[in-house]
Amino acid sequence: MKKYLFMSLFVVSATAMTVALHSCNEQKDLTPPTISEADFLPADCDIYYLEDTIYVHFVCEDDAELGNYNIEIHNNFDHHTHGTSSVDCDEEQHEHGNVEKAWVYNQDFVIARGLKCDTVIQKIPVPADAAEGDYHFMLRLTDRAGWQTLKAVAIHLHKP
Amino acid sequence: MLHSILGAVLLSVGMVAPLDTSDFHLSEVTVTATHRHVNPISSQTSITVESDRLNQQVPTSLAKGLDAIAGVQASSIGSGQSRPAVRGMGFNRLAIMHDGIRHEGQQWGDDHGLEIDRFAVDHIEIVKGASALLYGSDAIGGVLLLSSGAKPQNAFSGKACVFARSNNMLFGASALLNGKKEMPAGGTFYWRANATYQDYADYSVPADSFEYYSYRIPLYKRTLRNTAGREADASLVLGYTTYHWHSCIRIYETWAQSGFFANAHGLEVRLSDIDYDRSRRDIDLPCQEVNHLKVLWHSAFSHDNWGIEVNAAWQHNLRREESEPVSHGYMPTPPDALERQFSKHTASLQTAAKWNVATHHTLRLGLQSELQHNRRSGWGFIIPDFEQYSLGLYAGEEWRVNNRWTLDAGVRYDYAHMHIRSYQDWYVTPVGDTTVYKTRSAETMRDFHSFTWSLGMRYQADGWLVRANIGKAFRTPIAKELGADGINYHIFRYEAGNSALQPEESYQADVSVAWENRFVHVQVDPFVGYFPNYIYLNPTAEYREGLQLYQYNQSRVIRAGGEVMLTVRPWTHLDINLQGEYLFARQLSGDKAGYGLPFSPPWRLMPELKFHWDPIVNRQSSNRKWNGYAAVNVRICGAQYDIVPPEKPTDGWWTFNLSVGQRFELTKCAMNISLQADNILNTKYYDHTSYYRLIDIPEAGWNLSAMLSVEF
Repeated sequence: MKKYLFMSLFVVSATAMTVALHSCNEQKDLTPPTISEADFLPADCDIYYLEDTIYVHFVCEDDAELGNYNIEIHNNFDHHTHGTSSVDCDEEQHEHGNVEKAWVYNQDFVIARGLKCDTVIQKIPVPADAAEGDYHFMLRLTDRAGWQTLKAVAIHLHKP
Repeated sequence: MLHSILGAVLLSVGMVAPLDTSDFHLSEVTVTATHRHVNPISSQTSITVESDRLNQQVPTSLAKGLDAIAGVQASSIGSGQSRPAVRGMGFNRLAIMHDGIRHEGQQWGDDHGLEIDRFAVDHIEIVKGASALLYGSDAIGGVLLLSSGAKPQNAFSGKACVFARSNNMLFGASALLNGKKEMPAGGTFYWRANATYQDYADYSVPADSFEYYSYRIPLYKRTLRNTAGREADASLVLGYTTYHWHSCIRIYETWAQSGFFANAHGLEVRLSDIDYDRSRRDIDLPCQEVNHLKVLWHSAFSHDNWGIEVNAAWQHNLRREESEPVSHGYMPTPPDALERQFSKHTASLQTAAKWNVATHHTLRLGLQSELQHNRRSGWGFIIPDFEQYSLGLYAGEEWRVNNRWTLDAGVRYDYAHMHIRSYQDWYVTPVGDTTVYKTRSAETMRDFHSFTWSLGMRYQADGWLVRANIGKAFRTPIAKELGADGINYHIFRYEAGNSALQPEESYQADVSVAWENRFVHVQVDPFVGYFPNYIYLNPTAEYREGLQLYQYNQSRVIRAGGEVMLTVRPWTHLDINLQGEYLFARQLSGDKAGYGLPFSPPWRLMPELKFHWDPIVNRQSSNRKWNGYAAVNVRICGAQYDIVPPEKPTDGWWTFNLSVGQRFELTKCAMNISLQADNILNTKYYDHTSYYRLIDIPEAGWNLSAMLSVEF
């Protein structure tokens, strides 16, 4: 009887091992997409006037397939910092802008399916009634597998 | 006498009295191969932790004291707290039964601890592997059976202890008083009261800064800002027992307040006006406060060959999470700091009956029902209001074929009804030319039906103990999985529930083979499990409202692994222990086919040498005078490269730990001293299962803890 027990134990272990070995062969995307630093627009500490247009330009890449991206612009009137290269532009006077009238821009964009590399160009008009002050330009980029890369840039809005 | 014991233990998790134990020393905790004729099913692999052993340690939480056991992990969730997991399954995949009643907090939260006073827990039993038959939904990964308030042995006795930890400058005290009185009518009245308080500072890590999305954040004096906290617990048990009858009322109250790590509350690193580095002991925003009240009534009646038990309980979990009111996206600056509040009431009723149908046959029948009512408030939305009703019915049969073989089988039916309430944002979002109060949760009604079964065998003779179990388990989707629809500001992602989810099911086979003689104990516990519809929060390539969309869906998953435990006792004073665990998981379908599961624990190996001053004659250590020990152990953990987005690969690590303990038997009391030094080499390492792994926070550095207790 004991023999059967050990047989069953063996079968369970063998099944587990087989599954483990079988599944390890699959190809998986294990790296997040990248955003090229070169020619990235807007640049840190760029100044824009109300009713200006913010030109967005960047090159993104992924080893498997790119996903989508999102651009968000939010006020930095409380002077917080972001995790990626977003600097505090020292030459700028920290102006505590009017939070009530702060400009909020938040737009999701789709990258065509099947691309490993893409050059993105967008134009974002600055509204005439936006509050002046420091803002953050946030770029979020995914790949098809769900990895995400972030990039934050500090910009400033001025009255013309 | 035996009958009164039987009466007390009858199908009850709360009243534990092992009828037949063959225990064996293993690591810090005694690992006992318990085979009771009552819960859990004797063919199931379970591990018992005695309170003596548990109390030798000074863990920050109940869970942390258990991760010295192969197959049990404690995932750090920040603030020095941790959550238990069995074979990598925690949260709603691990049922936590406290005195026979399912503990109901807000267990969905990544950073929510367990609202149970570990000093009020006398006995812990861990069922490795699915055990839906007796415990229903959530027992899909395992069960943690906690019991407090065992009937006191003496007319009056008590215990008091003080404890401290160096790493987070924790100090605390706990006291327990209990007594019993024989009543003229023949019964015994007993009581027990317990109180615990602890206070801790920000915890320290072996790092001066941490990297967070390529940005370096300095850590003041190597501590994690705002992770201090305090906890106060109290409990009262009043009981009456006679030859055939046992009845008691238990009241547990747990209160805890702690800060959230200021630099990791959401992915946005804000520069706050709060001076976090002012003090290590203060609690600033963001912070959480939890209050858990549990009132339980237990009654059991037993006769010669049958018995019945009833447990009724009411629990109220009140959780408040506060953070600085800051505008985000279209949300304007909120009026106050109350980000979220959850108030959850749970009423439970359970009955179980046992009947010795024939000499070798025992039949058990049970009914479990539960009503949950959850209400939220605050400016942050994450889970909707809901009501949930569940009912489970089971029948099981145990056949003691002869004195070596036992076979068991059981079936269970469960019904659950979930009513999710609608929720709209309190602020407007522009859509096209207009603005709307976006609906985050739609009114949803769902009914779930589950049918589960189990088959098991047990063989015990000549030093062998073999257990095997095969069965089906299930888990009802929770409100967050069905109805979440919004930004999770904790981790800055958009989480979308899926109201079409079906109950998660699993088929599992597990085996435990143990052999022992006077010198050696060896045990191997392999398992394999298959989930046809594992509920998985999938990170997608899409964006919603500016944040990456994580969506709940179901995929086929296979899991396998096991534990190995070896103890060699070459000399009556010395134990050489070796424990190891391995776990493998693979998603077989869906968007992440080929990937593993998030927070998968890598392999672990835990060798230990333990020297006892007194020879080990029997394992009732408390009977020995002047007993003491010294132990040295190494924890070796493998690397985890089997990751899913957004995880990072984690390298392997090892830590070196020491512990010593001594018991002094005096004329009227006994004293215990234990000292424990963890991570002596102050190794900087990352735990793949830790909540803070994603933001590159290493685990705690070296730590010295001490505990002094007096029993009288």
